Amino acid sequence: MVEEVRDKARELLSAGTVECVIGYERATDGITARPLFAYSPEEADRFILDRTCVHNLARYLLDRKGKPTAVVVKPCDSRTINLLVHENQIERDKVFAIGVTCPGVVEAHWGETTEGLQSRCGSCPLEVPVVYDHLITVPGERQPRTGFPELEKLEAMSPQERLEFWQQQFQRCIRCYACRQVCPGCYCPICFVDQLDPMWVGIKIAPPENQVWHLIRAFHLAGRCIECGECQRVCPVNIPLMLLNQKLTAEVEGMFDFRPGLDAETLPPFATFRKEELEAER
Amino acid sequence: MSRFLSLDGLLAWLDGLLKEGTVVVAPTLVEGVSLYQPVPAAAEIDLDGGATVLSPKEWLFPQSHTLFTVERRDGAAELKEGTFDGRAVLFGLHPCDALGVHLMDVPFLAEPADASYRERRERTALVGLSCTRCRPECFCTSMGTAPDDPAHLDVMLTPVEGGYAVAAASEKGEALLASAVLEEKAVPLPEPPVPDRLPTEDLPRVFRALFGHAYWGRVADRCIHCNICSYVCPTCYCFDVRDYSRGNTAERVQSWESCQAPGFARIAGGYEPRPSKAAKMRQRFAHKFLYFPEAFDGPLSCTGCGRCVRSCPVNIDIREIIGDLQRIGVSSVGSGEKQD
Repeated sequence: MVEEVRDKARELLSAGTVECVIGYERATDGITARPLFAYSPEEADRFILDRTCVHNLARYLLDRKGKPTAVVVKPCDSRTINLLVHENQIERDKVFAIGVTCPGVVEAHWGETTEGLQSRCGSCPLEVPVVYDHLITVPGERQPRTGFPELEKLEAMSPQERLEFWQQQFQRCIRCYACRQVCPGCYCPICFVDQLDPMWVGIKIAPPENQVWHLIRAFHLAGRCIECGECQRVCPVNIPLMLLNQKLTAEVEGMFDFRPGLDAETLPPFATFRKEELEAER
Repeated sequence: MSRFLSLDGLLAWLDGLLKEGTVVVAPTLVEGVSLYQPVPAAAEIDLDGGATVLSPKEWLFPQSHTLFTVERRDGAAELKEGTFDGRAVLFGLHPCDALGVHLMDVPFLAEPADASYRERRERTALVGLSCTRCRPECFCTSMGTAPDDPAHLDVMLTPVEGGYAVAAASEKGEALLASAVLEEKAVPLPEPPVPDRLPTEDLPRVFRALFGHAYWGRVADRCIHCNICSYVCPTCYCFDVRDYSRGNTAERVQSWESCQAPGFARIAGGYEPRPSKAAKMRQRFAHKFLYFPEAFDGPLSCTGCGRCVRSCPVNIDIREIIGDLQRIGVSSVGSGEKQD
């Protein structure tokens, strides 16, 4: 299957179908993966594909707008393409999606990987990418789904306990914005926290400011998060950001029967209006 | 014969300092994340921790702090400076982190010194822990320190059977040890570990030669331009300053900032002098390996702690970059391969 990725990449680059193929290569620790941008057929030899290939590479399409690009996408990552096409950020015909089926990915941080899958894989509804131009089947049994066990724990708390839980988490945030930078849905030309005038949020790296950042970040992704889990993976101080995202995912699904990026046709709630929404009481 | 401090003796010494009102800042586990924080009791210290996620710089150069507040009352304005008038012990610094403090001193204590940094620095004693093992990302010996180097520390502790071998490396350290119960005995010191070595020879010159090289664009392709590397780094010292105002009071706040942040380099009129991903990412390495040594006569602004290697979400590896620059430098300087 790795050879299939390499072959496809070589073919696309040799034929000039795309200028660049974005896939994975081995990281410097020898055990995890990192993104590789291949511009020549020779570079395609470096591609790898295994359960440490955690990154959502489709995020890089935002950096290559208008340039013919092929990208390796797992099912979760593939939702990015629908999201960004719906939001008029990328052109579908400039993207060649090399879809790979996914039995789940492990927790992989530089120098260490886990045996077990990432918790978010337990709530992933997909095994096959929702959009692809070429599909590669990765062998491997998928582990059983677990739903959102952590979310259920959180929902069993009282509002006061929940507030304290999140304050505890946000307290150690260092406002590095890795969660934003890695997110395929965070592409505002000027993020609200970077706005100078007016300054919506102060620059202090301190609990009240951190909390405003995280809550607004989460709300801006309501109905838009494609559950790639990158925000949580990259957080240097282990804030469980996917819990917030999953909560909003569940809310939006309950209200609008919509989960973003699953198909190319259904328009997102933010892009539509139905009369019955007027009557929806919350 | 050398001086020995038992584990209990260490905890008692630190608890004694705490009781006197000294702030003890040390590695602590916060929800599984190892961070330097003021501890309420010595027992809270994570003594076995390898490297904290964030460096100890945040004690001397806080993530955010108030430079001053101004209050307007009855037509007159009263200004209050943010000060630290206590005493502190920064505990558990590995030699790389001690070098980090030294490299922060260079810009902040150069005249005119940064008053708030100088105040904290003068009121803080540095107690180091020599390294008994290296992690794969360590490369301190390539940056001019070593796992058992006491340079820039006030007290150096070396873990040995049942406690620590103690060496005072400064007068401040000797004074601090006055309250410690030390034993005199023969303590065999462990052989220090040997980290990997990097080819750092002549790095500023090589960097200058490859400044416009296409290499930067290729590495920057995968960079997501978050602030992680700058914030975990013991020597990155960029900051932003803004005012908070409410009613009759205004507060001037200094906070960490990163050259990777959007708009960091933007200037009046909206011009962005480092618009490309390549230029932006190169800036961080140029500061460490070109501008800093040029501006301050020598040292590279890196300690070999490996924190950025460990925390980068896309494996931008400073060790690999140094190696690549040397390799490309040898093979293509003068070949005219240019970008930007």
